[in-house]
Amino acid sequence: MNLTYTPEQQAFRAEVRGWMEANVPKEPLVTLECREGYDAHVEWERKLASGNWGMVTWPEEFGGRGLDLIEWLIFEEEYFRAGGPNRANQNGIFLLGPTIMEFGTPEQKARFLPPMARGEEIWAQAWSEPGAGSDMAAIQSKAVRDGDHYVITGQKTWSSRAAFADWGFGIFRTDPESKRHKGLTFILFDINSPGITRRPIRQLHGDTGFAELFFDEVRVPVENCLAGEGQGWNVAMATAGFERGLMLRSPGRFQATAKRLVELYREHADRASPAAREAVVQAWGAAQAYAYNTYAVASKIMAGGKIGAEASLNKIFWSELDRTMHRTAMQLLGAAAELKRFDDGRINQWLEGYMFSLSGPIYAGSNEVQRNIIAERLLGLPRIGNG
Amino acid sequence: MDFRFTDDQLTLASSVRDYLEGTHGPQVLRRLDQEGNRDPAIWQGLVEMGLTGLLVPEEQGGLGLGLVEAALIAAECGRACLAEPLVDTAFVGVPWAVARGDLTGLEQVVSGEKTLAPAHVINPWLADGHGDHVQSVDPLRNLAKVESAASDDPHLLNLGALMCAAQLTGIADAMLAQAVEYAKIRTQFGQPVGAFQGLKHQLASCSVAVEFAKPVVWRAASALQDGLASASLHVSHAKLAATDAAMLTAETAIQVHGAMGYTYEVDLHFWMKRAWALAGAWGDRAFHYARVDDAVLGGTFAIGPENTFA
Repeated sequence: MNLTYTPEQQAFRAEVRGWMEANVPKEPLVTLECREGYDAHVEWERKLASGNWGMVTWPEEFGGRGLDLIEWLIFEEEYFRAGGPNRANQNGIFLLGPTIMEFGTPEQKARFLPPMARGEEIWAQAWSEPGAGSDMAAIQSKAVRDGDHYVITGQKTWSSRAAFADWGFGIFRTDPESKRHKGLTFILFDINSPGITRRPIRQLHGDTGFAELFFDEVRVPVENCLAGEGQGWNVAMATAGFERGLMLRSPGRFQATAKRLVELYREHADRASPAAREAVVQAWGAAQAYAYNTYAVASKIMAGGKIGAEASLNKIFWSELDRTMHRTAMQLLGAAAELKRFDDGRINQWLEGYMFSLSGPIYAGSNEVQRNIIAERLLGLPRIGNG
Repeated sequence: MDFRFTDDQLTLASSVRDYLEGTHGPQVLRRLDQEGNRDPAIWQGLVEMGLTGLLVPEEQGGLGLGLVEAALIAAECGRACLAEPLVDTAFVGVPWAVARGDLTGLEQVVSGEKTLAPAHVINPWLADGHGDHVQSVDPLRNLAKVESAASDDPHLLNLGALMCAAQLTGIADAMLAQAVEYAKIRTQFGQPVGAFQGLKHQLASCSVAVEFAKPVVWRAASALQDGLASASLHVSHAKLAATDAAMLTAETAIQVHGAMGYTYEVDLHFWMKRAWALAGAWGDRAFHYARVDDAVLGGTFAIGPENTFA
């Protein structure tokens, strides 16, 4: 156990800090969940890429810097220290990218990774269907092989980023006789393909973060299938592991929120309850605990280990921490919590953050599903009644 | 930067775990409970494992290891609900003596002839001390009134609190394992009760709490070993996280055991009572909370994403 940074790591931190301080927008961007905000965030992705910061862990040939996971954590810490915007392409760089790295052919890596790192192709995920949310194995959308193409028919819903993104990925039923986890195939598709209709879904805050996708005999080349026909479930579980376990939510995000919460507390200290005060202090502690654990996971992976069902522990921890921190902020704001803009014109970021934090325990596999996974796969309790 | 234990550290911990599992099971706790709660044979076994000398410098006949190794072994002592005063002697008293440069008598600690019960003003009662006996809810804990002069050295307090936190993680692990085993074998409504999500989700929540308390404890051990200026904060953070995880797990574990959990027959209560005792020892929740509060809200400690290892 060595919890100090090398001089090289410190120099890297200084380099990231310098670039971020010079380039992160001074004013927060408009929310990613509307056209104007989406465009601004995509522009930021391209700005990042111009500094070669698109995805630092990837090999240089794919638009990365070939750095390790500790350096990635340092990058993320500095990114959130500087108040960097949400990553418009997180579905690509944090979820699909690592999946392609693990399962993709050389041609797929060369085709998809560089434009992902450059922010030129923004990715949406298309997991859920109206009848397949937590129960993802109930997927019905079909992909029927026809020569060099799959012909996709069906419907996906609650697809993050799909309102505006360029490409999508998801699993489809390629074997019509199959049931549950079998006969599914992981397919990448151009959302602008003929036959795809996207219908943005208005979310509870009024903006359109996700969308429904309707597929009407959409032709997708077979080379867009990842890891072979029928392997979809295994590939999706690996993607979900990246999502829940390590990359989607790096600790810097929550440490930054905890720090802002401390600052908010100081502004409202004269009228804050002792319970709110303790919640603020505990938020710092939990964000730190999440950071230590992430460094431990990164160290393990760098030494050749893998992340398995313990990814579910992480997902529960960060999503419930995020909700708790924002709830605490709402308490500290008191009557002002309901304001969309404060009297001085600033957007009430805590309110927006609170609404967003409510989705954390739902997306990337609901926390109820995560608790089942922990109970059954980590603790060894019987699998009964969950299919 | 490498947040992992070395292979040597993990081998040491697993050898201690195996030894205690084999020689210090629940039947031993029951025997100790009935026959007077210390057994020279158990102590001799710990001495022969080299544990009394774990932190004693090699010149004094010890192994010369550090607080990270000691915290790992303390967690194993918690897992086994060890009653003998190993942690206070070897992982609190010894490093405190070494830190003060007081090496006299350490050979006797290594050989097992001498135990240490360092008195600190934070503890109104002393575990395995020589004063008048005070009864603890934990039948295997020997509490005494403090007779000798108690120290107010913050380093001693930090050592005691860190080792409490480490034990609490092991205690929580053990209680969770007991609850899981019971939930697998107890059937109601025609199936193991552990198949019900009502239990699964509670046990999963304990797992989350315990697994995220552990790295806080290891971070604190490393900080105290390295003498970081922020070590007190990290120790208090660890004591809070480990206490909260252990208390949650204790309450969940008894609930999972149902009415059996309320009997003396089920082993759980030994660990649960130890958790209650250690939760208040070496600084209670209010004390450690106040230290974290001071550092985080008081502005004496740098917070934010760039300060993970400040």
